[in-house]
Amino acid sequence: MARSTSTPKSGRPTSGRRRSERATMLSVIGLVAGYRDGGRVLDGVELRVSDGECVALMGRNGMGKTTLLRAVMGHLRPDAGRIRFAGQDITGRPPYAVSNSGIAYVPQGREIFKDFTVAENLLLGLIGKKARGAVIPGSVFAYFPVLAERRRQMAGTLSGGEQQQLAVARAIVSRPRLLLLDEPAEGIQPSIVQSLGATLRQIAHEEKMSVLLVEQNLELVLAMSARCLFMENGRIVDGTDTAVLRTDAALLDRYLAI
Amino acid sequence: MQQALIIALDAANFMLALLLVTLGLAIIFGLMNVINMAHGELFLLGAYIVVAVDRGGGSFWLALLAAPVALAGIGLLMEELVVRHVYHRFIDTILATWGLSIVIKQAVIILFGPTAQQVSNPLPHALSIAGAAYPLYRLFIMAVALLVAGATFLLFYRTNLGLAARAVIANRPMASSLGINTRRMDRFTFAFGAGLAGLAGAVMAPLMSVDPQMGVGFLIPAFLSILVGGSGTLLGALLGTTLIAGASTVVSSIWTQIIAQVVVFSVAIVVIRLFPQGLTGSRR
Amino acid sequence: MSAPRIGVAMTIGVWVVLAAAPAVLNEWRMSQLAQLVSYGIFAMSLSFVWGQTGLLCFGQAIFFGIGAYVMAALTKGMLHGWPSGTGFGLVAAALVPGAVALAAGPLMFRGRGLSGAYFAIVTLAAAVIVERAASHWDWIGGFNGLLDVPPLRIPLGGRPIELLDTVPVYYTLLAAAALVYSVLLWLERSPRGTVLRAIRDNETRTSYFGVDVARYKTFSFAVSGCVAGFSGALFATQFGFVSPALIGVPLSTEVLIWTALGGREVLLAAFLGALLVRSVESALSGALGNYWLLALGALFVLTVVLFPAGLFGRVLALPLPKRMRRG
Repeated sequence: MARSTSTPKSGRPTSGRRRSERATMLSVIGLVAGYRDGGRVLDGVELRVSDGECVALMGRNGMGKTTLLRAVMGHLRPDAGRIRFAGQDITGRPPYAVSNSGIAYVPQGREIFKDFTVAENLLLGLIGKKARGAVIPGSVFAYFPVLAERRRQMAGTLSGGEQQQLAVARAIVSRPRLLLLDEPAEGIQPSIVQSLGATLRQIAHEEKMSVLLVEQNLELVLAMSARCLFMENGRIVDGTDTAVLRTDAALLDRYLAI
Repeated sequence: MQQALIIALDAANFMLALLLVTLGLAIIFGLMNVINMAHGELFLLGAYIVVAVDRGGGSFWLALLAAPVALAGIGLLMEELVVRHVYHRFIDTILATWGLSIVIKQAVIILFGPTAQQVSNPLPHALSIAGAAYPLYRLFIMAVALLVAGATFLLFYRTNLGLAARAVIANRPMASSLGINTRRMDRFTFAFGAGLAGLAGAVMAPLMSVDPQMGVGFLIPAFLSILVGGSGTLLGALLGTTLIAGASTVVSSIWTQIIAQVVVFSVAIVVIRLFPQGLTGSRR
Repeated sequence: MSAPRIGVAMTIGVWVVLAAAPAVLNEWRMSQLAQLVSYGIFAMSLSFVWGQTGLLCFGQAIFFGIGAYVMAALTKGMLHGWPSGTGFGLVAAALVPGAVALAAGPLMFRGRGLSGAYFAIVTLAAAVIVERAASHWDWIGGFNGLLDVPPLRIPLGGRPIELLDTVPVYYTLLAAAALVYSVLLWLERSPRGTVLRAIRDNETRTSYFGVDVARYKTFSFAVSGCVAGFSGALFATQFGFVSPALIGVPLSTEVLIWTALGGREVLLAAFLGALLVRSVESALSGALGNYWLLALGALFVLTVVLFPAGLFGRVLALPLPKRMRRG
């Protein structure tokens, strides 16, 4: 059941526009969700991702970052607040409807289908979307050549880094407008993190994707995002240009150190 | 030797008929995590459709085609009206479907009466196999079951729809995140499973005395097959069904049916206890 | 009045009404009510194992039936060398099914254990088999069962006196029900009961606290088996005969319906569920009975979907034990 996005492909803004003029791709307004003994997991989250922007979200474990992504994706119903994507209110829609509006999700732990082949995993990224047909675009293999080599292999036999590439490839194969990434660097060797960061940056730029990146790994955050938000106890409490983080350790100390 | 052949054929017969029931149950459980306690009654309805058409003077072959279609419709109705409201409460799906089984059974009793009905055998000939005369109709059942089971496997393992279904079985939230419409999948799954059960009931009707209590007699072996074989894959259902049906037939040919039931049940419990994931090691 | 206080008031009210029943009902209805009370105790047994511990048992009648058969066999003197008095019969009728549950428990709950759904299926299959086996076992009467089960005999003045009058029988049954109710309620409100509910709500998490989940489940299963067997024995003395109808799937299904409709998590609600459903059933007879069963099935489905707490669950719910209330 494919949903037609309100903005046609040709309407994507060019990279020449100034940031203040860019349309808002995702806005989360006053989101309240989930209950933990003694408090809410999301306690009034406010954030915006502009078209073509990559925003990083950092914070300690248990602050609600994953829950936020899951709420945007429709895996849990918020108790209050709204989520707007590309001009539409997507609050409370089931995950497949959110996906078909043009948001793709790479969850923590990747969650690839281990007993399916690489090709099948990629195909599954397309199956639900009528408009896209069932042909995997060649660009995906251009970004991740190792997947082309291993397309007939069982996904469970891939290495950690390759599985991560598969998870991302599967997400972008349907050419989403917004990509939600939950700790893509987790469990990956530092050398691979670097190349992953570069590839992701390239993809976001070339495919004109906006990205909301939840990440603890500073390297990846610096490589990919222009803006960084900090989350604490279910709220966004601070934000800065990522460039600042290269030199100023104070913010990181405050929001990441245990 | 001849006796052994007959027993083997009977075992294959029971196994293939049971397979149709088990497959439907396994697909519904695997994909929706719903234990459909009404599945035996869906089988029952298939048989009673044959009875109804027979009473109305229609041809058996017509009934055989109508039953799965009708049952698919009924399955759809059940899913839409009841199941989808409770499937997040796992234990309550058992209760709700059990309640539906009572409703269906009572409806059948009201419409057809509580006593057993007979349907005439549409293929009353026998085929000579290795010197023994084996009923042609039983061979027909096996052929139909093989064909349908084969088609089901093809559907699941060779089509995009099947791929999507297997993805939902493997990881429902992730499949949904990829855009696979799980709501539609649920409807299709339940209808398909019900259709399979209806076909099994229709095709078995001429062999059995059709009475309102026959549902449970297929429900339990089907469940045991899934538990023994492993509920994560269709192959688990296939393996479990083979073992349960084979053991039942063999034991009941040596002793009585009751003893067969007790023995098979006890052995199944032990196997499940030792292999909680089933023999194929795959559990949802 | 706050909700818990309503619960206390209603609970007391129910017992008062039950105690006063003989004043308003005629003899025939009284004897009916007495039988219903046995069923009510039966429903309480299921409420304990299902409502409190989360174990959905599709074969609860197995225990009821075993209790009934044990009572019948003993009091009819079929077991030579064993006492044939009411008292011994009742105790044995409670202990034998309890022992069966105790033995079956480790098989089902240890190791990876049987999750809720598998437990339901296994108990269903067991009920089918036990019913068939009982129908074929000639010593206990096979399909026809055992007739002429003696009524309750109370030892008064050195000689056992048969309770035949409806009012004494009724009050004996009511006293038994009150006794069972008190014991089960006490268990529920004890720390052990809290653990059982924790297992019901989140088994994995409870096991992380070091709780031996299998042992608690077996305990709950055994207790409910004892109570069910006890109620079966009581029923047998009133009904006068036992048959496989008391031990298989149909009765297991019925008690499930009573408990679900009444309110699985509240003992008295389940008790009332049994009384209500059963009394309506005996009021409707014959062909109407089939329509009634159809309606009952539909009502059951509706209850599961829309009223998981049952019809009386909320109104009879008692306040938490003092030690568990906050502030």
